[in-house]
Amino acid sequence: MTGSVSPARAVGLTHRLLFRQLLTRGRVIALLLLGGVTILAAVGVAVSDDVDDAAVTTIEIIDGLGLVLVVPIVSLVFASASLGDGREDGTLVYLWLRPMDRLPVVVGAYLASLTISLPLTVAPLGAAAAVGGAGADGITATVIASVIGVVAYSALFVLLGLLVKNSIIWGLAYVLLWEGLFTQFSEAIGQAAVRGYLRAVLADLSDVSLSDALDVSTATAVIVAAGVMVGSIAIAAMRLERMEID
Amino acid sequence: MPLPPPPPPPPTGSPITPPPPTGAPLAGAPQIARLVDGGDVMVEASGLTKTFGDVVAVSDVTFQIGRGITAILGPNGAGKSTLFRMLCGLTPPSKGTVTVLGRNARRDRDVRGRIGLAPQQDALFDRLSAHDFVTFTARTHGVSDAEAQARRALGFVDLDADDPKPVGSFSKGMRQRAKLAAAVVNDPDVLVLDEPLTGLDPVQRQRMIALFNELAAQDKCLLVSSHVLDEVARLGSSVLVIAQGRLAAAGDYRSLRNQMDDRPHRIRIGTDRPKELGSLLIQRGLAQGVTVDVTGVSADTTDVDALGRAIAPLAVEFGAQLNEFSPLDDDLESVFRYLVEHRR
Repeated sequence: MTGSVSPARAVGLTHRLLFRQLLTRGRVIALLLLGGVTILAAVGVAVSDDVDDAAVTTIEIIDGLGLVLVVPIVSLVFASASLGDGREDGTLVYLWLRPMDRLPVVVGAYLASLTISLPLTVAPLGAAAAVGGAGADGITATVIASVIGVVAYSALFVLLGLLVKNSIIWGLAYVLLWEGLFTQFSEAIGQAAVRGYLRAVLADLSDVSLSDALDVSTATAVIVAAGVMVGSIAIAAMRLERMEID
Repeated sequence: MPLPPPPPPPPTGSPITPPPPTGAPLAGAPQIARLVDGGDVMVEASGLTKTFGDVVAVSDVTFQIGRGITAILGPNGAGKSTLFRMLCGLTPPSKGTVTVLGRNARRDRDVRGRIGLAPQQDALFDRLSAHDFVTFTARTHGVSDAEAQARRALGFVDLDADDPKPVGSFSKGMRQRAKLAAAVVNDPDVLVLDEPLTGLDPVQRQRMIALFNELAAQDKCLLVSSHVLDEVARLGSSVLVIAQGRLAAAGDYRSLRNQMDDRPHRIRIGTDRPKELGSLLIQRGLAQGVTVDVTGVSADTTDVDALGRAIAPLAVEFGAQLNEFSPLDDDLESVFRYLVEHRR
């Protein structure tokens, strides 16, 4: 009656389960409000007479609010909870003690958080870019930078949820202190932060110059983000294999 | 093998016949407990030890367990759950080995599909209905007809498969039953049930015990932990007693019960003439030692029944009034402590 579970099936089962677990009304409303702040700021740009170049100002808002706060925080909330909640409340055992490989479970969790985080970031930031008057290139740049950001951050934070308790606090520390503060001290640190690459993509594709943006191409940023994604997921799968389950 | 149809509730008070004695040693230094009644070894531990920093949770435990029900009996904090976690591969041993069906569940993916676990912790996927939770469990075990098996498993534990309420809104007893349904839905060869009767009402307990016996009759291996002696009595099973992380005793329940009853007991006897009564208990050989205070006597005896029969006639003989006759050490902790000390 029982048998092994194929990797594709394991991904699907994990995704479906965690999607339902993650999608709570409170989280969605709170994070929609966060995205809404960016839209409000863009509306302000659109109606203001004091703005010289609406496209540039809107891209700066996307950079300063969207890529600094919305993308990493939305990703953090869902990705760190995807397996981290189960680790902390004891339900991870229902995914662990199964004839399933670890990698598909991590991939399923990752995809579940992506499924929720992508619309909650791309839609408000894309809307903000459109409302603010960023133009076609600006909207495209915003959407692509947001997608790359969610893809990279989500993988990183799925791993974080398996590594530490209170992963939200650790994740906020990473976003606010490491990416927000320490990267200003050294370019080397900036290269070790996801945000730098997202800003480079935004600047590159929108053709808007952003201060202190990394001087890398969009292709390089995509490769780095893919590396972060693959590396984080692989480490998370190893971590899941070796960790102690309550 | 498909799940059997849900068992009818046993009549209240119906006796559950314990299995014949296995001959496995009881306390008296059972370093290796072998609870295999001539059949296959389903679960085997050898020198199993788990430490958390300086705390030794399980210490050098060795046993072999076969088919049928084996109760893991021990007080809270004795190491039962840690033992189960190692057995299921959820945590690696610090020393020693443990295998299920000859394999290591931590490393062997396939053997995990042959284990059903109802963990002690209450957490479930609170947003799912019981049906969705058990169906999910079946699917992650690769059960081919997951929906149908989930319905059968829920029927076993008297939960309505069509109830749309999320398990997060369930009472403790209902959550416990949902966990049990999930544990049996994959028709496992080895069932690991950590305090499965906690939170159930008496009727449900009877029903679950009947279910366990039904599964044991299908040649499954059931490991059931409990800190309640009477529960284990009703399981009518082989018993491993764990105390302070160590194997304190092993064997069939009746032998264990006899050993527990044979231990020295301390009885409190309330009387208005404690000195005279205490002296008399020693003189008549009814107590091996007494402690006297103004309101009564605490007597150490190895034969509570004899003392109980003799005390009233003695009181009449001396014209003493009795106002209390109660055991001072009948809690499980003292029973386990005795077994551990007796083992040394």
